[in-house]
Amino acid sequence: MSQKILTRMGDGERLAMDAQEIRDDIRRGTAEAARRAGVPELTEAEQEELFAILAEPGRIVSVEPGREVIVTDDGCSMSFYSGQDGGGVGAPLSRLQAVLTYERACGADTTSMGHSDYSYKPVKPIINFEANDYYNISQVTTAPFLYGAQPNMGLYFQPDGPCANAAELMPLGKIDEARAAQEEACEHLRRDLVFVGRRLAEVGLEGLNFDTCGSAGDADYLAALQAVEELKKDLPDLPIIMGGAGEFVLGMHGGVEYQGRRLAGLYPHEQVKVAEAAGVDIYGVAVSTATTESVAWNLARAVTFVKAASEASSIPVHANVGMGVCGVPMMEQPPIDAVTRVSKALVQIGKADGL
Amino acid sequence: MSEALFQASVDAVVRGDAKKAEELARQGLAEGIEPLVLINQAFVPGINQVGEMFGAGKLFLPELIMSAKAMQAATDIINAAIPEGNAQEGRGRFVIGTVEGDVHDIGKTIVVALLKANGFEVLDLGRDVPTDRLIEEADKFNAHIIGTSALLTTTMPAQQKLEEALKKAGLKGRFKTMVGGAPVTERWAKKIGADGFAEDAGAAVVVAKQLLATN
Repeated sequence: MSQKILTRMGDGERLAMDAQEIRDDIRRGTAEAARRAGVPELTEAEQEELFAILAEPGRIVSVEPGREVIVTDDGCSMSFYSGQDGGGVGAPLSRLQAVLTYERACGADTTSMGHSDYSYKPVKPIINFEANDYYNISQVTTAPFLYGAQPNMGLYFQPDGPCANAAELMPLGKIDEARAAQEEACEHLRRDLVFVGRRLAEVGLEGLNFDTCGSAGDADYLAALQAVEELKKDLPDLPIIMGGAGEFVLGMHGGVEYQGRRLAGLYPHEQVKVAEAAGVDIYGVAVSTATTESVAWNLARAVTFVKAASEASSIPVHANVGMGVCGVPMMEQPPIDAVTRVSKALVQIGKADGL
Repeated sequence: MSEALFQASVDAVVRGDAKKAEELARQGLAEGIEPLVLINQAFVPGINQVGEMFGAGKLFLPELIMSAKAMQAATDIINAAIPEGNAQEGRGRFVIGTVEGDVHDIGKTIVVALLKANGFEVLDLGRDVPTDRLIEEADKFNAHIIGTSALLTTTMPAQQKLEEALKKAGLKGRFKTMVGGAPVTERWAKKIGADGFAEDAGAAVVVAKQLLATN
């Protein structure tokens, strides 16, 4: 009887697979990514290395000494004080206490804060409060302290915002109107991203994170790129991190371009190049986890995308290892066995510069 | 001749050319091709190809919508040509909405487009839809399936609330239920008693057809 290896499905369900099944899933996962993005599959040796990581008997695994990377925070300290319904643990901590706990007790490489809505639009009317909080906390932190949120262009469509709702116009066949609404929303979003970035820079912002760019499609992604470019003109030393929303940029508009490049359908190795051209300092690759496939399949797929992005990139690539991303199962509390295996594989095989 | 017409029909759907799709549907009927053969061999492969290209990021939402409209235009013509009593089983009626408290509707919009393209009659209730309204509208629409989308872990419980409300009202057997959305999983669907789960828009069509077949 072959030895069973404990692993998980993409929805976190535990299961035991035999070695051949895991190897088969790795092969299928890397082939799927390669076919979609037009990038090379993982080599036989890389597939074996990935198998070895997945088959390690310990509950948790880690990278080899000397191959450690840094972790870029995107709102971890918010999980300390938000309640269970918000995905946190509900500890009675202030923002300041949460950031310091994360930095000093957890030994975080970087820390961050963001509005609890985690979108830039709601920050605009309360920028003075946010800037004040940012300033106060930044005075007592040592590690790089970032401000982060999502562009989230959806908030600019009616009834939440001023623009006609593209998601309602599109099914009616009003393609031109839907596209115009997205272009208008893109402009509002770009302005707000720049506004928040500049105001925080006035109080000594150490780094800005545009997280999950493109979640509302290619125009959302464009707004982030344009905002980076604009901010970098005034603030060339402001570090800006930009993360994707999935393995390809969703074409809700389908026609928007940045520097002559159509954004819809760009895969991570292409995303990182447009981000680099805009002036981004660190790019966060995101690959959606398929809940109906195994961690082996998902991770092989994610490593293939991340490796191609790392090879193409001239800036650091930090792979996203959050809930339901890059092979991490879609669970409210991602299981440590899977998270550590994903982290190790993305760094050692995918050559991610950070997480 | 049929093969050329079938291929031209596939191309028309992929290009989202409704006028051409209508013309080819009429031409196919005029040539005596059985309506169901015409749908299944000339147009369904086209919309399937569109679904695959969309899933791979090779074709985008505006094109998907245009293709769905081309498909609908052709199938309307062909369906009208099917003799009374000979018709394929009725089109599935699908009520869909993003659950109460959740304003995300991009994914749902894509599901609606693909369901329509595959012949479903869809009543899209939009976003932030209360459970009671989902049930009322499903009743009025005489729906086969109620589909709900939730993008947030905090709004997923509304999908469970729907299951409980249907059971309480004695309607669980009348409507099939489907759930979807970024944090939603097969395990969640089983846990709450939903009849179907779909990971993406393409899978939603497949699952909806399966549920319809068991109705």
